[in-house]
Amino acid sequence: METKLVTLNLGVINPTNLDDYIARGGFQALEKVVRTGQVNEIVDALKASGLIGRGGAAFPTGLKRELAIKAEPLHAWPAPANVPEPYRYSSAFVVCNADESETGTFKDRWLLEGDPFRIIEGMAITAFITCSTVGFIYLRGEYLLAYARMSKAIEMARARGFLGKQIFRDDFEFDIEIRRGAGAYICGEETALFESIEGKRGEPRVKPPFPTDKGLFQRPTVINNVETFANIPFIALEGAEAYRKFGTAKSPGTRIVCVSGQVNKPGAYEIEMGTSLREVIFNLAGGLRANRKLQAVLIGGAAGAFLRPDEIDVPLDFQSLAAVGATFGSGAIMVLDDTANLHGVLYRIARFFKDESCGKCLPCQLGTQRQFEIIARMGQAQPVAPLLRELGATMRDASICGLGQTASSAIVSALDKNLI
Amino acid sequence: MNESLAEIIARWSRVGRAGLLPAMIEAQEKLGWLSEETLTQIATGLNVPLAEVYGVADFYARLYTHPVGKIVVRVCDDVPCYLAGSEKIVATLEQRLKIRVGETTPDGQYTLEVVPCLGHCDHAPVVMVGKHVYEKVTDANLASLISDHEKVGSTQKAVGSQEG
Ligand SMILES: Cc1cc2nc3c(=O)[nH]c(=O)nc-3n(C[C@H](O)[C@H](O)[C@H](O)COP(=O)(O)O)c2cc1C
Ligand code: SF4
Ligand code: FES
Repeated sequence: METKLVTLNLGVINPTNLDDYIARGGFQALEKVVRTGQVNEIVDALKASGLIGRGGAAFPTGLKRELAIKAEPLHAWPAPANVPEPYRYSSAFVVCNADESETGTFKDRWLLEGDPFRIIEGMAITAFITCSTVGFIYLRGEYLLAYARMSKAIEMARARGFLGKQIFRDDFEFDIEIRRGAGAYICGEETALFESIEGKRGEPRVKPPFPTDKGLFQRPTVINNVETFANIPFIALEGAEAYRKFGTAKSPGTRIVCVSGQVNKPGAYEIEMGTSLREVIFNLAGGLRANRKLQAVLIGGAAGAFLRPDEIDVPLDFQSLAAVGATFGSGAIMVLDDTANLHGVLYRIARFFKDESCGKCLPCQLGTQRQFEIIARMGQAQPVAPLLRELGATMRDASICGLGQTASSAIVSALDKNLI
Repeated sequence: MNESLAEIIARWSRVGRAGLLPAMIEAQEKLGWLSEETLTQIATGLNVPLAEVYGVADFYARLYTHPVGKIVVRVCDDVPCYLAGSEKIVATLEQRLKIRVGETTPDGQYTLEVVPCLGHCDHAPVVMVGKHVYEKVTDANLASLISDHEKVGSTQKAVGSQEG
C-alpha cells in the first residue's frame, strides 16, 4: 500500500502556488519552531523520531544537527576572509543535496517539481536550529523543470516572508541560493559537492573532518538529501511519536522507492518502511508483463546489489536489507524479467563507474577501468569471477570515497547470488 | 534573460571563485560552448588563474571547451533505459544524423551523446534534445522529434523542459 507522509501534496497542490501549500498546513512547522524557539526540543524530536538520511549513507538526521551545533563555537565569527563576503556572517550552512544521479532514481526530481515549498520549509527549520543564514540547493544540471519550479518557489517564499529577513521573529533570517551541477555523478558525494560550490573540481575530500565540523567553506554544515528535508516539517509539527507510527521500530517512517525496468507500472511510490519488495513489485508496480518470470532485482542503484527471485519477500527497511546483503541506497528498484540481458546490464554499471570515477585515487581510477574491461570481454571462456572479486575487494578497502568503495558491489553481488 | 557575458561575470564576481561554475554554466547557455576567449574573461573577472579555470571546466562532462552542435542530443543508455531498448535508439540516431556517438554533424547542428541515467526511468527510454526531455521514445517518433527541432521546437510533447 502507498502511504502519504512526505508526498501528501504531490499531484494535489499546484507547485507554483504558495497559497495551495499554506492551505494544506504549509509553514506551520517553521512558524512553530521559530516562535517557540525551542531548539533543543526540535533536535531531540528529530533524534527520537529515528529519521535516517535518505541520500544513501544512512546517517541519523537529528545527530547531524546536534554535531553541527556543537562545532559552531569552535569557529570564528564572522568567518575568515577566504569565505566569500556574502556568506561570512552565517555561523553554519544548510545544504540540500539535489544532485540525484544514481542510476534508476527519480524521487528527488518528483519532490522538487511537485512540492518545492516543503523542501524550503525543511531547510529553513534546519537553518533556525543551526543559526544558519545561508543555504544552498545543489541541483542536478539536467533538471531544468525542477530548476524553474524551485527558483520560482524561493522567490515566492521570499516575497511572503518565509525566506529573507525577520522570518516570524526579528532576529531570524535565512535565504537559499541554487547551484546547478554540470554532469558529474561524483558531485553528489557531500565533500565533492562542497568543492564544486567553492568553484573547484568536484573531487571528494578525505574524511575526517566531517561536514558538520568543516563542510562548505570549512564551516559547520548540515547537508541532507531532498527527501530527508521533506520529512522534517512533519516531525517538527507532529512530534517523534506521531512519526514513529509509520514504519518499523528500527526503521521508522516512510521511504520513496523508484521502481523501473520490466514492470507494468513503473513509478515512484511512498511506502512505509518494512513493506515487502514483493508487495512493491507485484502490487504497486503492477507486476511483470504476461508470461514473464522474474530474473533479478537491482536495488539501491548502480552502487546497490542484486537480489534473486527467491529473496523478494524481504521487508524494505535498513536492517532486513542488510541481512540479505543489500542496502536501500537511493531507493532505486530495477526489475529484470527473464528477457533481460544481464551481461548488458553489468556492462552499463561497469561503464558508469569507469566514466564517473573522478580519478583522485588510484584504486578507483584504475580499478573501475579494469572492471569495465573484464566485464566487456566476459563470456569469452576464461573465468573472470576471481579477478572481479579481487578487484572489488581492493576498491572497497582502498578507495577514498563511496564511489570507489561501492563500484563493485552490484557486480560482486551478481556473482555471489549465482546470477552470472 | 538577455545579459551580456560581462554582466553575467559581474553578477557572479560578488562571490569570487565560488561563482566560477555558475558563471561558466550561464556563459555556455548563452554562447553554446566555452572558448578560450570566454574562459579568459571569466578568469579575469573572478580572479582565478586561467589554468585552474580550464581544470574546472574539464572536470564537468556537460561543460564544453570545444565547439559542439547547436543542439546536443543526449540518449540515456543506463540500466532502465537499456531494458526499454535504448541501444536501438542510439543506432537509429547514428544512422539518421550520419555521425557516431560523440561526434557533431558537419553543418554544426547536432552533437550526439550517450549519457547516464537522466532521472526519468519510469518513462524509459529517455532522450534529451537540447533543453527538452522526451520520455517513452520509440523508433517511430524519434524521426519527428529530431526534424521538428530543425523547425520551431517540437510538436512532440516535451516533459521536464524549462517553463516560461
Ligand atoms: C558517489 C556518491 C554520490 C552521491 N550522490 C548523492 C546524491 O545524488 N544525492 C544525495 O542526497 N546523496 C548522495 N550521496 C550521499 C552524500 O554524500 C551524503 O551522504 C548525503 O547527501 C547526506 O544526506 P542524508 O543524510 O540526508 O542522506 C552520494 C554519495 C556518494 C559517495
Ligand atoms: S574513490 Fe573514485 S570517485 Fe572517490 S575520490 Fe577516489 S577516484 Fe574519486
Ligand atoms: S535510466 Fe534512462 S532515465 Fe534513468
